[in-house]
Amino acid sequence: MTTQMDNMEQSARTLWSDAWRRLRRNRLAMICLWVVIFYTALAAYGEVVYRWHQWKDITPSYQQTDLDKQYLPPSLFRQPFTVESGAEVGVMERMSSGLRELARHPLGTDGLGRDVMQRLIQGTRIAYMVGIVVSLIAIPIGVVLGCLAGYFRGRVDDVIVWLYSTFAAIPGLLFILAIAMVVGRGLLGVYLGIGLTIWVGLCRLIRGEVIKHSERPYVAAAHALGLSHARIIFRHILPNVFHVVIVTFTLMFPAAIGTEVFLSFLGIGAQGEPSWGIMISNARLRLWHGVWWEMAAATTALFFIVLAFNLLGDALRDALDPRLRTGRQ
Amino acid sequence: MDKAHGPVYRLDVMRHTFFGYSRLVLAFAGFAMLVLLLTGCGREVLDAGYEDEMVMFSETSRIRSLDPIKAGDVPSAHAIARIYEGLLEYHYLDRPYRVVPLLAEDLPEISEDGLTYTFRIRRGIYFQDDPCFVETGGKGRELVAEDFIYSIKRVADVRNASTGYWVFRDRIVGLDDFRETTMGEGEVDYDMDVEGLQAPDPHTLVITLTEPYPQLLHILTMHYAHAVPREAVEYYGKDFINNPVGTGPYILESWQRNYRIEFVRNPKWEETGRIERYPTTGAPGDEEEGLLADAGKPIPFIDRVIQYKVGDPSTQWLMFLRGQFESSGISRDNWDAVLTEAHELNEDLIALGIQLRSSPAMFLTYIGFNMDDPVVGLSSDPDRDRRNRKLRQALAHAFDYEEWIEFQNQRIRKPTGPIPPGVAGYVERDVPYPFDLERARELLEEAGYPGGRDPETGRRLQLTLEIGAADAPDVRQGVELLAQFMDRIGIAINPSYNHWPAFLEKLSRGQAQMFQLGWVADYPDAENFLQLFYGPNRSPGPNHAQYANSDYDRLYEEFRTMLDSPERTELAQRMADIVIEDSPWLFTGIPVLYGVFHSWLENFKRHDFPYGMSKYYKIDVDHRREWQAMYGQ
Repeated sequence: MTTQMDNMEQSARTLWSDAWRRLRRNRLAMICLWVVIFYTALAAYGEVVYRWHQWKDITPSYQQTDLDKQYLPPSLFRQPFTVESGAEVGVMERMSSGLRELARHPLGTDGLGRDVMQRLIQGTRIAYMVGIVVSLIAIPIGVVLGCLAGYFRGRVDDVIVWLYSTFAAIPGLLFILAIAMVVGRGLLGVYLGIGLTIWVGLCRLIRGEVIKHSERPYVAAAHALGLSHARIIFRHILPNVFHVVIVTFTLMFPAAIGTEVFLSFLGIGAQGEPSWGIMISNARLRLWHGVWWEMAAATTALFFIVLAFNLLGDALRDALDPRLRTGRQ
Repeated sequence: MDKAHGPVYRLDVMRHTFFGYSRLVLAFAGFAMLVLLLTGCGREVLDAGYEDEMVMFSETSRIRSLDPIKAGDVPSAHAIARIYEGLLEYHYLDRPYRVVPLLAEDLPEISEDGLTYTFRIRRGIYFQDDPCFVETGGKGRELVAEDFIYSIKRVADVRNASTGYWVFRDRIVGLDDFRETTMGEGEVDYDMDVEGLQAPDPHTLVITLTEPYPQLLHILTMHYAHAVPREAVEYYGKDFINNPVGTGPYILESWQRNYRIEFVRNPKWEETGRIERYPTTGAPGDEEEGLLADAGKPIPFIDRVIQYKVGDPSTQWLMFLRGQFESSGISRDNWDAVLTEAHELNEDLIALGIQLRSSPAMFLTYIGFNMDDPVVGLSSDPDRDRRNRKLRQALAHAFDYEEWIEFQNQRIRKPTGPIPPGVAGYVERDVPYPFDLERARELLEEAGYPGGRDPETGRRLQLTLEIGAADAPDVRQGVELLAQFMDRIGIAINPSYNHWPAFLEKLSRGQAQMFQLGWVADYPDAENFLQLFYGPNRSPGPNHAQYANSDYDRLYEEFRTMLDSPERTELAQRMADIVIEDSPWLFTGIPVLYGVFHSWLENFKRHDFPYGMSKYYKIDVDHRREWQAMYGQ
């Protein structure tokens, strides 16, 4: 038994380190990884800012309105680019005042004079919150149900397949809207709405993988040793199918973010907080007047995070897929 | 009548251009593109096949109900008044507003003591054909006095939860007793005799009042007093709100909730030879404006009215510019693309033949406090009551009118209390609680929340503000600005956004802590605003703040029987003082309404009580077609 376990763990380690090696060779994937890390850092920073204001119980600066500064364009597009002039001012002063001007509302302000960049960062925070919480809801459901269905087959499988087929048959958005209506507008509805619908794909993948694995000799050996079902499923089979979870996570995350933005745009997502969806919704009012920066900032942010996660997910799948590995060896 | 946050307002002058392009080039490029994206290629896609008819296309908000007794909101009132009619209506052109007969032959005979009103009902008025008229095989029957009695009883029936009982409460002899009988179990007996509502013959209606009620004639123009056939209510049951059966100029053709509603000319009028005519007299200046060109001609002119609910103000504006709607409001965000700094139309729009109408409205916007709420409301504990009042006053002092008006594009005026200008009983006065942060902080401290801290939690005081617009970004921005005002004195406002019907539902049940709402006059009298604070009118009545003050109620009961006089105005001011002191409302402004319309919409005159007035409008279809062909060339 000891020997067997050691071998298993060794093989698992090899899979992960092998995958990492593979991933590092993929330049695009590495760029995407850095993009994701960058966003994660922004979200973490946003969370710190948010928590700090919560703790101090004051209104954060990204909510402070100032009508004198409304619709200020991004600093690079400001016309005229005001640098304090005056004969006495030296080059250094002029440069520093120019830089100061650049740093003042670098992405412009919105209709109530609030800084777009700060709101964008808060939007990142909300997007991450949604991505993480949704994953925390969906992954356990998907993994547990998938494992149970794939391992036990028979009646259990029938019930679980029926369950996820039913969920899959409900139009996703309508289901999310219905949940949001029940628990009320706000992020809770978004978490539950997305979390309770998005697990289906993962569950199917896991089930398939587990079916495959449960016929492997190492599982038969574990049975022969009289291990409990739980131990076989979660200690032996699950580590071997876990790459599916990782890949699904990287694809689930941007999907959840996209859905959150969409729901917030419709007014049933984030309430009173600067989600990207709310920023887009606010910005569309003035878009045809040439007030483009809020819309541009939010959509660009959304575009790059979704793109980065998706490319990274693809690269991870390539790196982690055991069939691909054997093919190349 | 309840109205959402009013028109969508908008402010300032653009301070920048986009990469040097002129604002207008960009604007036109923008909407040309959007319209292309949204509609493919114009009206033909939206609604085709009406080339031979005079069709009016317009925009509406969400309609709550087509049952006259269940709607207290403006969009529903518009729709209802196309289908149903009352005894009286407002004269379309005359100013000041004057009540004229509609289904009555003439204005009523009023007894010496002002208690008995005798109406002669017109003969030859028929309800539209409808399957509910089983006895006649679906043929609409003639209108009789009993229909009005039945309709008023419906308002009184508790089980109908009508939004309009406030107009009849304590007024008509015996009606309150009828209401009592509807409160128990078992069938409601609509045949029960109500002393104050009598029909000695099918075409005579006698209304007897408990006390003089000078506003009754105004009340009878409202949809709560419109004639509803009993057959339809009984035939359709709960589904009656979707199946209106009226005598009016239009009938409902189709209604896709929250998207599109279509009315067509009521064929019964032609069948029974009923002819209504355009007024032959008007206010000074109407003749010059061409408003009397159709004097004496039969109405309605328009064959078909098609209305869309367009949620997005930009889309709605672009649809108007493209000629898909005949008229439009001006949203806050389109303001500076439409009007110059002098609040006149810009040249490009004038060149398109678009015309502008603006006028201050008999309309107040406010933030209501729920007087049943333990934190902001009234309390039986005198100390708590006093502190809660100070809290409300502190919030009122923290409201920055200058900034709010700037945000709303100078399209509102500072409020002067609960009575807006234009109604009888109005007196010019100052803003009740001028913006004064120092005073606000002082009051807040006296209220027991020093610096906005709630001593119970040690954190900022949190108040929930209910909003009746779930997905309107411009409303959301206004709320965020408001939250910022209150943040300055350390109070956190949590907005809660609802759909308009859900919001009204919350108000009816008294579940909102604070709510943003407006009240637009139903008739030009201060009484219409003062009744909003009368204790017995609490929700589901229009007193959504659930305000109750016995002194006020006593004055109001005295006030409401008086004819307009200096003493009455003085009484109104005393009542206003009480309301201002108690601050159940935070007065946010008096909107000035701006509307634009295309040159082919004729006979259009702004009216403060415009329900049903579309029967006077006319459309020059050829002109519209030419304009549309020319547009964009």
